[in-house]
Amino acid sequence: MLKDITIGQYYPGDSMIHRLDPRSKIIGMLLYMVGLFLVQSLTGYAFVTAYTLILLSLSRIPVKLFIKGVKPLWFILLFTMGMHFFMTRGGAVLWEWRFLQITETGVQQGLLMAARLIFLISVTSLLTLTTTPIVLTDGLEYLMKAVFIPLAHELAMMMTIALRFIPTLIEETDKIMKAQMARGAEFDSGNLIRKAKSLIPLLVPLFLSAFRRADELAMAMEARCYRGGQNRTRLRALRMGGMDVAALILSAAFLAVCVYYG
Amino acid sequence: MSIILEHVSYTYQPQTPYEVPALTDISLEIREGEFIGIIGHTGSGKSTLIQHFNGLLKPNSGTVEVDGLQTTAEPGTLKRIRQKVGLVFQYPEHQLFDETVYQDIAFGPVNLGLDGDQTRERVRRAMEMVRLDFAQYKDLSPFVLSGGEKRRAAIAGVLAMDPRYLILDEPTAGLDPRGRDEIMEQIRDLHRQGMAVVFVTHSMDDVARTAQRLIVVSQGKIVYNDVTGQVFAHHAELERIGLDVPHVMKLMLDLRAKGLKVRADILTVEEARREIARVLRGGDA
Repeated sequence: MLKDITIGQYYPGDSMIHRLDPRSKIIGMLLYMVGLFLVQSLTGYAFVTAYTLILLSLSRIPVKLFIKGVKPLWFILLFTMGMHFFMTRGGAVLWEWRFLQITETGVQQGLLMAARLIFLISVTSLLTLTTTPIVLTDGLEYLMKAVFIPLAHELAMMMTIALRFIPTLIEETDKIMKAQMARGAEFDSGNLIRKAKSLIPLLVPLFLSAFRRADELAMAMEARCYRGGQNRTRLRALRMGGMDVAALILSAAFLAVCVYYG
Repeated sequence: MSIILEHVSYTYQPQTPYEVPALTDISLEIREGEFIGIIGHTGSGKSTLIQHFNGLLKPNSGTVEVDGLQTTAEPGTLKRIRQKVGLVFQYPEHQLFDETVYQDIAFGPVNLGLDGDQTRERVRRAMEMVRLDFAQYKDLSPFVLSGGEKRRAAIAGVLAMDPRYLILDEPTAGLDPRGRDEIMEQIRDLHRQGMAVVFVTHSMDDVARTAQRLIVVSQGKIVYNDVTGQVFAHHAELERIGLDVPHVMKLMLDLRAKGLKVRADILTVEEARREIARVLRGGDA
């Protein structure tokens, strides 16, 4: 059951997007996000939608996976949409009850905001789906160094380790859950307090094993003389190619169009 | 009364690029009072298989029945099944969580809804079965125990469910030789008291010495399911799928290869001693 979690999951493939340098993908995504939030007009939205769909289809990742990524956030989506429906006033009144009012502008704004969130989530998952965690953090480390963020290497290393251990911890959770279920534990029944209490037999062993793993990993790293980022070279150095230049120009052009249509 | 698997197949993460078929068309029966060893190399599907015995995993196709109860039935039935089939995972000491050994072992009985007296009796008996002195250990934190004691406490936590079938996944992994012998001796004891025992192991010597029946799993399929001696008679095939034969049997095979006409279907040191003596005395007719 827990094995179905897809956060930060990599989808193996060899598409144009998969092959891009992580740095161009990260910069491209940042530019995309800025553009996405600048756009206000309907024409602008049409353009963004087209651009997003092209990006997603270039990755040749099944649409199912993007939908799966958006699904857990349905509540936030509904909430934002509802807020805009009721709070934004303007245009013809569609529905009215006492002080509540839904207007044309409100509906339009609500739908556009929801679309914006869906695009945002899809494109961020596009980044993680097409980039292995290791390569992604390598790219981040490089970019952080480029803008003089201190401790860039340490931060990136922490992220690599955290990402590396997500599947391990999920597996571990699954195992402990099963072991306790074999002793008659139930994790999904009863009221909130009972549910919270039923987590103790899961969390205590999980924390213990996480600390044990952290200890062992630290020891293993020390044993191999790990001393932070000074003078480290890479086994797989990142290289920008022609495609990356094209991707960066395209992203910049996208932002320019977004600014232009406003 | 028995655990019956019929045409069980199971796939991890079906319909994703990470899809892994783990079990294919497995049929087997575990009767009350049996002593069964399951062997197979890493990734062969042993652990997936045993998780079907108490309904922790449900087959994608096929059925699992425990004393007439289907594991695919509603949650209420599952609880009854898990009471009947005790499952001890690999490194069970990693599941200890409570403040005292007593409370940890009582976790199962309390989940079953037993009252204080019954729970106390169950805990006392379970601790006796794994030879942890009740008075001495019950108020200790499980985390101050030694490795072997922790494992015994964790096994007691499953025994306190009063199961009819006990399934153990590599019960001796990571223990020193003495801890290993102790655990195996206690498992044999539980079987003598009438419990059906199924254990997964990598030690051919353990299964040779204890299991009456042996199930060999390879690539999600059952390759052999027979009396222990019969299975080891296929030593060449076992080696081909990455498994071994017991040391004693290896010795007998080597002796045969060197020209001494001993029988090779021998699983214990005592049998081997008699057989070699017989042949050396010229008894080889």
